[in-house]
Amino acid sequence: MKNQHKKIQRPSFPKVLKKSSLSFLAMAPLLLGIIGLVGLFQVLITPKMLASLFRGNALVDTVIGTFVGAAAAGNPVVSYLLGGELLAQGISLYAVTAFILSWVTLGFIQLPAEVDVFGGRFVLYRNVLAFIFTMIIAVLTTLTLRVLL
Amino acid sequence: MKKQGKAFVFRGKYFFLFILIVYGILFFVDSQSTLLSLRKSGAVLLKVLPIFAAVILFTALLNYFLQPRQIARHLGRESGLQGWLWALAAGIISHGPMYAWYPLLEDLRSHGMRDGLIVVFFSARTIKLPLLPMMIDYFGWSFTLILSLYILTGALLQGRLLELLEKIRFKR
Repeated sequence: MKNQHKKIQRPSFPKVLKKSSLSFLAMAPLLLGIIGLVGLFQVLITPKMLASLFRGNALVDTVIGTFVGAAAAGNPVVSYLLGGELLAQGISLYAVTAFILSWVTLGFIQLPAEVDVFGGRFVLYRNVLAFIFTMIIAVLTTLTLRVLL
Repeated sequence: MKKQGKAFVFRGKYFFLFILIVYGILFFVDSQSTLLSLRKSGAVLLKVLPIFAAVILFTALLNYFLQPRQIARHLGRESGLQGWLWALAAGIISHGPMYAWYPLLEDLRSHGMRDGLIVVFFSARTIKLPLLPMMIDYFGWSFTLILSLYILTGALLQGRLLELLEKIRFKR
């Protein structure tokens, strides 16, 4: 009897799929807004502009790299290409590592949507932690490489 | 009276309107860049559409096969080490931009997924499996390996720290 009751309660898959689609559709303006911003950033903020922000000081550049990666938008492949270019220009590995890490984990563009979905406090904690850890990981990776190689 | 389900409401419509206004203003300042931005946005949208479809399907499958109680058991407070490992693996495997995963994570969170695991998922996404060969090509094997190990450790630490911060806040 109990099992029968459970079976009756379980909705059909098309119904569940419709519910998922609707909740995704409800978020469409938010997601389209972010995609619109990504397009704007890709055109208005060129890789050359980003590269010009680095100063040549390892410590300062690591902080700059984290900020620049967070502000940039696009496929992570671009961050590898840019990172390679920056290394060739003499920018420290600390800064380049921070840059390619924050490109994925941090994103100023998606902040409005992130706050709407997860709430301000969670987003604040997550982004502050990601920011700090980006720099720690960048420093540790470079130092470990120096010790090992 | 029988309680009805949540009414359908578009989220972020003012944000979207704001972006439209920005595009509108920019069009009068620099129409070429605006059109190029629109084209770039269109290309991004086309690229993420299959990911959106996959996320919708995945959310539906999870909701169909797993009861909220089961989701909470695997990803909730009592999930233990298994929960952390699931979040790490899911983060590494997940494809596409971060925002594509917001609806699924929001759904899982409403069913009891702990916040620490969401942080682990987001942090572990820095490791991009399909892009590893390219990273090795650009930065070398040692760099890629060491960085990946630190990313995984850092992801777990961030998850734990977030939960500690939340605990401290609740105690106050």
